[in-house]
Amino acid sequence: MSLAIHYDSSFDGFLTAVFEIYRQHLDVSCFVAERSYETEGDAATDLFAQPFHIETSEQSAERLKRAIEKMASLDVLKLLETCFRSETAGIEMNILAYLRKLFAGLDPNYGRNPTSLEMISLITIARSVRREMDAMLGMVRFNKAPDGMYIAEIEPKYDVLEMIVGHFRGRYPNGSWAIVDVKRGLGVYYENRRTHFVTVPDPSSIAAHAPPDQFTQMWKSYYDTMAIKERINPRLLRRCLPVRYWKHLPERSLGTVSTPQLPSSVAKENAFASLRLK
Amino acid sequence: MDIRDKLNILGDAAKYDVSCSSSGSKRQSPKGGMGCGYSSGICHTWSADGRCISLLKVLFSNACKYDCAYCVNRRSNDIPRATFTPKELINLTLEFYRRNYIEGLFLSSAVIGSPDYTMELLIKVAKELRLVHHFGGYIHLKAIPGASSRLLFEAGLYADRSSVNIEIPSDKQLQYLAPEKNYASIYRPMNFLAERKLEYKADKSKYSPKFLPAGQSTQMIVGASGETDLQILTLSAGFYKQQQMKRVYFSGYVPVNADKRLPVITTKPPLLREHRLYQADWLMRFYKFEYNEILDEKNPFLDPDLDPKVMWALRHPEFFPIDLQTADYEMILRVPGIGVKSAQLIVSGRRYSKIRLQHLKKMGVVLKRAKYFIYDSDVPPELRKLYPEMIRPLLVAKPKSDQLDLFDNMPLALPATISQPVSQPTMFQPALTSSS
Repeated sequence: MSLAIHYDSSFDGFLTAVFEIYRQHLDVSCFVAERSYETEGDAATDLFAQPFHIETSEQSAERLKRAIEKMASLDVLKLLETCFRSETAGIEMNILAYLRKLFAGLDPNYGRNPTSLEMISLITIARSVRREMDAMLGMVRFNKAPDGMYIAEIEPKYDVLEMIVGHFRGRYPNGSWAIVDVKRGLGVYYENRRTHFVTVPDPSSIAAHAPPDQFTQMWKSYYDTMAIKERINPRLLRRCLPVRYWKHLPERSLGTVSTPQLPSSVAKENAFASLRLK
Repeated sequence: MDIRDKLNILGDAAKYDVSCSSSGSKRQSPKGGMGCGYSSGICHTWSADGRCISLLKVLFSNACKYDCAYCVNRRSNDIPRATFTPKELINLTLEFYRRNYIEGLFLSSAVIGSPDYTMELLIKVAKELRLVHHFGGYIHLKAIPGASSRLLFEAGLYADRSSVNIEIPSDKQLQYLAPEKNYASIYRPMNFLAERKLEYKADKSKYSPKFLPAGQSTQMIVGASGETDLQILTLSAGFYKQQQMKRVYFSGYVPVNADKRLPVITTKPPLLREHRLYQADWLMRFYKFEYNEILDEKNPFLDPDLDPKVMWALRHPEFFPIDLQTADYEMILRVPGIGVKSAQLIVSGRRYSKIRLQHLKKMGVVLKRAKYFIYDSDVPPELRKLYPEMIRPLLVAKPKSDQLDLFDNMPLALPATISQPVSQPTMFQPALTSSS
């Protein structure tokens, strides 16, 4: 009877599960992460598998981490964690497949080979997680709350909140700010040089605390003036800035605020010039 | 005039400057302040034309005393003029930065009064940001042509990057279009800053002040005067070598002024040409190509149908196809369809296992292009030959076929006169062009 492994959705929880799979010789057909939110991975549960819950144990996870470091490297361990954050369907099974081959010991160089078929697919997944993390560094938009705290909402596809916190800590070391992952109900707030990770039970109410102000409006109108009309290219825009992010970007989601009256005389001159040509 | 109007006017006036990057600086957040550099740069958003917005790009003032033909801010244009006060601009930068809208400030200006006076104003803003507000974000300062060396030097102490725009890729054309400028006045500040940066680099002490940590950049307008792609690439290769430029930007000419010295105002910006030039620029910066490999006297223009890397490969069939198991990294980089990341993966992975097509596909290699230039070692040697004239038509993107209109008045029979296909003759075009 194959099992559906239930674990607490953390990376340590997953590693514990792998540890137990090896220790108890379990026959796994899929993993089920017990999350409070929905991901695309949830659809892939096996109806016929028997549920089997594994309690997270830090010790087991640590042991497995050490083993991965020894057999492969610290970089590989980090890469696996990055992949895990993608939360895509079947990512746990992909990582397990890699670990099985790694620990089988058939190829002594397996841990160092970046072009094994299992590794390449993990590398591509990690690449897209890192890409979103990088994009997120630019796409967090803070609003100022009346109490002086800067609050931002994000809705990334992958679970990158923890990965971006260090950047903002380095950037605003003396400020107080909070970033909330609306989709996952997770948040981080930074105050008095301390970072706290919290769960946010009702993320939709956060935005009301920090409404857009005049600087948001100014940013929006500045953004609108920056586009060169002759070069407008909606396809390129959507490729660089996918529509799924627009919701939390004031420059895309805010309605046009009093269209700026801009060099009308230039437009006039251009119009005259084209008339003259005709 | 309130600050919002000023921002709109001066932002609009600055938008034709294409420099957007915020990379190359690793500045830490200063004590008691905020802001840091991120060495690969961060794009914060993209405007409707698909260009990234990373810095608050504004002019300090657009009340220019010069009259350059190509510029929207020239003296003879009747446009609203505005000038920031340093305080307004600093406040705006800090507020935007706190909300993570921007990576820092890109400050340029029209020349007001004298070049020195203008430069002093720009420096004042940067200096106050750095010293009074302890701002560690990115600052890009324009070097105003004609400003004194003392001021340029001071700008370098506060800015991360500086730039002087060459705008027109030939001296004669520049003097024709911008009577107040010439190449000497543009090269002088470039060279001065490049030399100072070298001096500072030599002094490796941890405590030595930073001088333009992100180097210099420049930009030139493409398609305003009749220069060839070869001229443009030669010039930019020179900038990379001699002035140690970090970036050379190309800006497809957008007609903003009706002027008899310029292309007519209705011309479309040459976006494809600009794109091809950037591809060539990438080949020089990341793929170890020399400019004279990409273009030569016989072919002074880039092929609009094919990217420059494919073009080079088709012109050099003697190098291809190559064996990925044994070829040098430099050679793998030159295979069309293989990028830097895939090339690195191939080189680091091939000592452990054989690289096969299925690996390449998973890595993200564009096999559609790469397959003609690589071979499996199982292919017998006599079959390893590249025929450019056969491959070229396969690589050119096919034009989309349109749905025929049932009620179209056009007769379906062939028209009486077949117009000559207008395409640039290239070396490998088959002698008989089939009329498409």
